[in-house]
Amino acid sequence: MKKNNEFLIRQTKPWSNNTNTIWLATTATLSRNIEKFKFPAKLSEDQRKQIISLVSNDLLKTEVIGDPVLIRSEELGPLEKEFLMEHFLSEEGFQQAHTGEAFLVESSGEFLLCLNIKDHIQFTWIDCQGELEQMWGRLAKLESALGKVVTYAFSPSFGFLTADPSQCGTGLTVTVLAQPSALIQTGKIDEVVARLSNETLSITSLQGNPQEMIGDLLAIRNRYTLGMTEENIIASLRSFITKLVVEESAARGQLHQHDNPEVKDKVSRAFGVLVHSYQLEAIEALNAISLLKLGTDLGWLQGITIDKLNELFFACRRAHLLFQYGEEKISQEEIPHKRAEFVHRALKNASLTI
Amino acid sequence: MPEKKNHLFSDKEPERPLECTECKKSIAVRYTEIIGGNISHVSMCADCPELKKRLFGIQTQKQGIGVGESGANLACGNCGTTLDAVRIGSRLGCSTCYEVFGEALVADMLNSNKIPARLAANKKSIPLHIGRTPQEASLINSSLRLLALNEALTETLQREDYEQAALLRDQINELTKDGEEPNEKK
Repeated sequence: MKKNNEFLIRQTKPWSNNTNTIWLATTATLSRNIEKFKFPAKLSEDQRKQIISLVSNDLLKTEVIGDPVLIRSEELGPLEKEFLMEHFLSEEGFQQAHTGEAFLVESSGEFLLCLNIKDHIQFTWIDCQGELEQMWGRLAKLESALGKVVTYAFSPSFGFLTADPSQCGTGLTVTVLAQPSALIQTGKIDEVVARLSNETLSITSLQGNPQEMIGDLLAIRNRYTLGMTEENIIASLRSFITKLVVEESAARGQLHQHDNPEVKDKVSRAFGVLVHSYQLEAIEALNAISLLKLGTDLGWLQGITIDKLNELFFACRRAHLLFQYGEEKISQEEIPHKRAEFVHRALKNASLTI
Repeated sequence: MPEKKNHLFSDKEPERPLECTECKKSIAVRYTEIIGGNISHVSMCADCPELKKRLFGIQTQKQGIGVGESGANLACGNCGTTLDAVRIGSRLGCSTCYEVFGEALVADMLNSNKIPARLAANKKSIPLHIGRTPQEASLINSSLRLLALNEALTETLQREDYEQAALLRDQINELTKDGEEPNEKK
């Protein structure tokens, strides 16, 4: 287990050196099943293992992904599974993952292949450069490379067949993660989202509940995978995020030019919470860090940069936090205090300039 | 066992039950029934057939599901998955499931807005899947980004937000410059 632990913690990218202020990241997932095999839920353990060796043998050889490592589910502890889920912003928990399921990761930390989790194969890619189209290109290249070796379950009417019928067709789910803090803090977000959105997009918070915003993060993803082409899906998201970035930049411009005591107060209080608390809950920390990001972008803070705040945003979640303490045993009750200590260290040179 | 979505950031296990008592979707409704001196609590998902049954009696349950009657007791001969199980959140078991449950699945997904509404209009004549097929080239229009920027620019100009318009124009210039360079080298 130690080997995996070390491998995982080295996967710092893409969350370090990420200087994105508004469009934080994008994840794309492509689901495929292999013809003639039943879907994972109905497969015997032996057949699941057969699929793992079939797929991984070929993928470990391809040059599309660099330095891939196969990790079988039984080799992973609960914390490591949670780390994977946090790292890839996955909506599915991997906690239930058991024997006959596996993950394939590679050195860049941007690629995750899940085997037998829900479908036989799930390719996931994270992108922090705003390159939606290229990300699809990489996914498709890998899918085609593997498609030369295995035949995917496909029907002309339902497209690529998936265990969840609402994901068949293209099998492609793209999630854009945006942090429109200025729009959210000035209360304009609902109007803007209603104006820019259309019926093919689903917009929620990171945890899937649109009413409970966490860290000012909006997760915008395609609602339909069937009855849409891959290009439809990407074009629709591209159009939405382009306009959202414009609206958010304009709102930040407003905040910069015109004094807004309420938002300044929120940023100042967030700074206070992060720097002076003895115990920090995850959601509290994420909400405050996103306000600090806004403040930093507007020049209200010094001694801290956007990339450090983005790194902190991801590193203060439970599994990432505990990973930093390595072998040290930390109880559930101690976590909020450890998180507070960790945040204090990260912000020790930061100060408010307003 | 942590619940799918809600444990992303929580430090503690949620207090509520993790899944709908009757099926496998996440909880939306807490149903409390008081009969005489007995109080019972049940947690259910939003579209739980069990909820409809309890609120309206068994008759309306069938209406609620829509094409319910046609698919009642349907099971896949290849993997044994039943349509009833799929309707309460179980996954499909194999490719054959799509052949067996096809029509009912489409009707259910239309009801729950999981496929575009236009597919409802004449579902027999237009194909459901319009994306790529296996081994088909995966090319998408490389100028999607440019199209989106131009669209945003038009809207920004209509609003007379010249500051944002200038930023958009810079991005467009940057992209078109990048696009031209390789051509020139050729």
